[in-house]
Amino acid sequence: MTSLVRSELLKIRTTNTWWVFGLLALPLWGLTFLINYFQSQALLDPASVGVPESEQNAQFQAAGEHVNVAANLYTNGQFFGVLIVMLLGVIVVTNEFFHQTATTTFLTTPRRTSVVVAKLIAAAVLGVLFWVVTTGLNLILAPLILSSLDVGSQLDQGAIWQAIGLNGLAYLLWSVFGIGFGVLIRSQIGATVTALLTYLAGYIGAIIVLSILADRFGDWINNLQLIVPALASQLMATGTDLPGTPPRWAGAAVMVAYAVLTGTIGTLIVRKRDIS
Amino acid sequence: MSDGRLSPTAGNGQIVVSGLTKHYRNVRAVDNLSFTIEPGRVTGFLGPNGAGKTTTLRMLLNLVTPTAGAATISGIRYADLPDPIRHVGAVLEASSAHKGRTGINHLRVVCAAAGLPKQRADEALALVGLSPAAKRKFKGYSLGMKQRLGIAAAMLGDPKVLILDEPANGLDPEGIRWMRGFLKNLAAEGRTVLVSSHLLSEMQLLADDVVIIAAGKLVRQGRVDEVVGSMAHTTRIRVRTPQSDELVAALAEHDAKVEPGEGGVLLVSGVDAPTVGRAALAAKVELHELTTERPDLEGVFLELTAGKAAIR
Repeated sequence: MTSLVRSELLKIRTTNTWWVFGLLALPLWGLTFLINYFQSQALLDPASVGVPESEQNAQFQAAGEHVNVAANLYTNGQFFGVLIVMLLGVIVVTNEFFHQTATTTFLTTPRRTSVVVAKLIAAAVLGVLFWVVTTGLNLILAPLILSSLDVGSQLDQGAIWQAIGLNGLAYLLWSVFGIGFGVLIRSQIGATVTALLTYLAGYIGAIIVLSILADRFGDWINNLQLIVPALASQLMATGTDLPGTPPRWAGAAVMVAYAVLTGTIGTLIVRKRDIS
Repeated sequence: MSDGRLSPTAGNGQIVVSGLTKHYRNVRAVDNLSFTIEPGRVTGFLGPNGAGKTTTLRMLLNLVTPTAGAATISGIRYADLPDPIRHVGAVLEASSAHKGRTGINHLRVVCAAAGLPKQRADEALALVGLSPAAKRKFKGYSLGMKQRLGIAAAMLGDPKVLILDEPANGLDPEGIRWMRGFLKNLAAEGRTVLVSSHLLSEMQLLADDVVIIAAGKLVRQGRVDEVVGSMAHTTRIRVRTPQSDELVAALAEHDAKVEPGEGGVLLVSGVDAPTVGRAALAAKVELHELTTERPDLEGVFLELTAGKAAIR
């Protein structure tokens, strides 16, 4: 299995995919950092940016707690970061069909389950690598931002490290989803577009639909954000449990369940499929 | 190898296909096909387009699941071979490498997955004469170079059995001659070489044995000379003479069948050339040409697969 994972990682290293995606990730990380900087400012001092008193509800106030503002900054980049590792996962699978290398791969290793597992591990390694790099950058810049807002680094708070850890889990799980998408939809373009739409439209659509439903049927509807992967993974990266939202561990549990499901379905499909 | 892996010389290298069948929705791509391929020989796997050659090879290599039947290599199904690419090398598609990856890296990826040392990639590349293009990306390779890279990948594990699907596609005359020598050498070393193709004149030069299929079924299997020889009744004698009528009359006594050919040529069947010569001499007929036209593999193939090559 080690040699198969090494082979999968070599496949990624020997094409330009990884650094193209890295170059793509960097400005997106910068963009979200800028947004989070302004958001932190607004949360810590709502009056200064003109947020009226009436809109400062319990959830808003909780989000404004120092530890939660800090958690948001230390997990900065997740929104686009997990998207990119998911697309990498998609490419790890669909490349095999796009470039017709699946034949060579399965001739070398007829045990197809092993190939899929190696791909899952390789994609997870990539996901974690992206998390390490962004977290490193966050750990350098977030304390500077916080101190400019007269807030301590908060790194002595366990909640911060929990948020960073759960953020890493999110990266890992999204890369696994990417593999699942790639197996389900063999066409590279098809799988990429579907994954993108599911993530972005699912994210925005779910927020809109859930808030409409919550207005109508009550706040308990907000717990349904758990079943939307994009929202569930965001939930994982909040510093403490926010009022009116499901607990973080539930977000993590749902994500793990999704990952196991896509991984299993993907493996079963690859085992049965004719390679031609 | 002492770690229990199959060494390249282990196993007899015999390929046995028995009752292999593959149904796609409405088509029996391969229909109860059985044949045996022996080691130490080059076997041509022939059939018209759509005969089921590629499907058969893919079932043999566990890439396509058979509807029925089985195929073994050295008595073991491909999926059950402990270290498949050390036992079997296969070249299936010309373009089976990532376009942005260099040739040498393509081979290293396979080495890594198979647990072969990295140097095998360099050795295999040298074996097919591709070392100068090692660090060039696959998209910059010519069709012939792509074929050579495919063969290099197949040779990484120094396999006992080699399976190639249309390896001559895209090769120039020099490349085809190289391939012929390369494959004949491998067979001479005792390896099993199975080559699918529809270049029949090339097959006649290359193969020792042939397996001919059409519409998913076996048409003929045997040594090339035997298969061609079995069609000896189609041998014709080409005769050119200014006294056609006299010769036709003379040959009539020998039960020969004479047909007019192009440009005043007579095509005689049912007798051999000496008989025609003697008959002409006895009748004092002047001959300008007397040639035996033996059937070649192409003629035999077309005869055997006639009417079975329809698009299905």
